[in-house]
Amino acid sequence: MQGLRTSILRHVRIGVSMQGKFLVKDVNSLKVCHQLCTSVGTSSDEIMSRVIGLVKKFDKIEGTKVTETADFQKDLSLDSLDRVELVMAFEEEFSVEIPEEEADKLRCCADVAKYISSGAEQKSAENI
Amino acid sequence: MNIATSYLAKRAAQKERVRILYRRALKETLNWAVHRHLFYPDADAMREKFEANRNVEDLETIDRLIADGEARHDKWRHPDPYIVPWAPGGSKFTRNPTMPSGIEIVYDFGREDNA
Repeated sequence: MQGLRTSILRHVRIGVSMQGKFLVKDVNSLKVCHQLCTSVGTSSDEIMSRVIGLVKKFDKIEGTKVTETADFQKDLSLDSLDRVELVMAFEEEFSVEIPEEEADKLRCCADVAKYISSGAEQKSAENI
Repeated sequence: MNIATSYLAKRAAQKERVRILYRRALKETLNWAVHRHLFYPDADAMREKFEANRNVEDLETIDRLIADGEARHDKWRHPDPYIVPWAPGGSKFTRNPTMPSGIEIVYDFGREDNA
C-alpha cells in the first residue's frame, strides 16, 4: 500500500515539475518568436545590436573591428561591391527596400540603424 | 592636370555604374533563385565574374565591359521580380493606411457627454 502511494506521489510530483518546465519553455519560444519576427516594432537599441551582429557575421570583416561608428570602407576595408553585398544582407534581415541613393549614404553601422529605425517608424505609422 | 581630372571623373562614373550594375545583378539573381540557399552560390559566381575584370585599366575596355554586362542583365530580367511587401507594388503596399487627420470614432453619436 505504502509503495503504491509513494509511486503515485512520485508520478504526480514529476508531472508537476514537467509542467513547470514546459511553461518556461513556452515562454522562451515565445520570446524567440518575437525576435525572429522582423515586422514587429523594435527599439533602436535592438536594431543596433542586430546590425552589428550581422556586420560581424559578414565573412570579409574581422569581427573584432566592428563598432558602431567604424566606417565600412576605411576601417573595415570593404570595397564598393562588398558594400553592395552588405546592403543586400541588411535588406534581407530587416525585409526593407533600400534605394540605391540611400545605400550609397550608409557608411557605418549607426547610419544603417538610423535608416532602418526611421523606416520602421513609417511602417508602424502606416499599419496603425 | 585637366586630362588627369577628367580621367579620374570618368573612372568614378564607371565605378558608380559598376556598383549599380552589381546591385541590380544581385537582385536579379535573387529573383531567379527559388530559395535563399540557392542564391548564395549564384551570387558568388556573379561576384567572380565581376572580379575577373577588376584590374582592367583602359577606359574604352571598361565601357565596353559595362555595356556588355548591362545588356546581359537586360536579357535576364525576371518577369515577376520579388518586391518587398511594404514597398510600392508589394502585396502589403497601402494596406491599412493611416486614417486622414480629423476622423475619429464617435461612440454614442455625441450623447456620451450628457449621460
